[in-house]
Amino acid sequence: MTLSHCIALSLILCGIGLFGMLTRRNLLGILLSVEVILNGANLNFAAFAHFKAADPVAGAIFPIFVMAVSACEIAVALAIILSMYRRKKRLDVYRLEELNG
Amino acid sequence: MTDILFYTMAALLVMLSFFAVSLPNLLHSATALIGSFIITAVLYIMLQIEILALAQIMLYIGGIVVFMLLIILLTSGLGGVDDKLGKITIGKWISKGAITALLFTGLLYFFTENSSRLLDTGASKTASLTIDQIGIRLLSPENGFIVPFEVVSLLLLAALVGAVVIARKDTEKKEDLS
Repeated sequence: MTLSHCIALSLILCGIGLFGMLTRRNLLGILLSVEVILNGANLNFAAFAHFKAADPVAGAIFPIFVMAVSACEIAVALAIILSMYRRKKRLDVYRLEELNG
Repeated sequence: MTDILFYTMAALLVMLSFFAVSLPNLLHSATALIGSFIITAVLYIMLQIEILALAQIMLYIGGIVVFMLLIILLTSGLGGVDDKLGKITIGKWISKGAITALLFTGLLYFFTENSSRLLDTGASKTASLTIDQIGIRLLSPENGFIVPFEVVSLLLLAALVGAVVIARKDTEKKEDLS
């Protein structure tokens, strides 16, 4: 288990999350893919903090902030989804064209 | 031993994350996401950062995924989850998979070309972190993280108020307070 293994794993996770963001049509599915991407990024932080950091405490603290901010993001996004569903009765991103200009 | 465990966990993590982004039913996706977060917590324990594993389980599994499940069940009409939105057709597979593979190979090329600069093996093995160190550092004013901590608390408050305001039902008749 080296740093290269962890970097490769987080790269694969980010690729999977990007694929999900591009393929999903449901808004909730896109949010779920964003969580997969953030998971890969946190794993990267932890790997560098464990293997190479001169100051590993900072590398362990930063993912906690990432988790808190992602909790905020998911709360606001799910509120938006709920109100959008209440207005439109659908969550298809191809159909939500109100901000199309 | 550690290598075998890491490879097993990595394979499981990749498999479950792929299920989470590709299963048509969102409830199954959220369940696969719970599994992938648990395995990520196991990887954090293998990296000797236990507080991250605890925070992962508490925040992600206990908070975010449960919240997502709640909204999935709220927005899926009467019990059923809409499967026809979640279908990933062959064309989408090929096109978006090509984009993802392009990015992936680009990053992989970058990392393998510059691996000597990025990953020199002369890494100093640091002592393992204790939760005491992390907590003291998180709340210490000098060389610490007290300001981001407070900013995150304000951000959580703002997100709470904003979520309540956005998700509130619009009452048609406004009450005159004057």
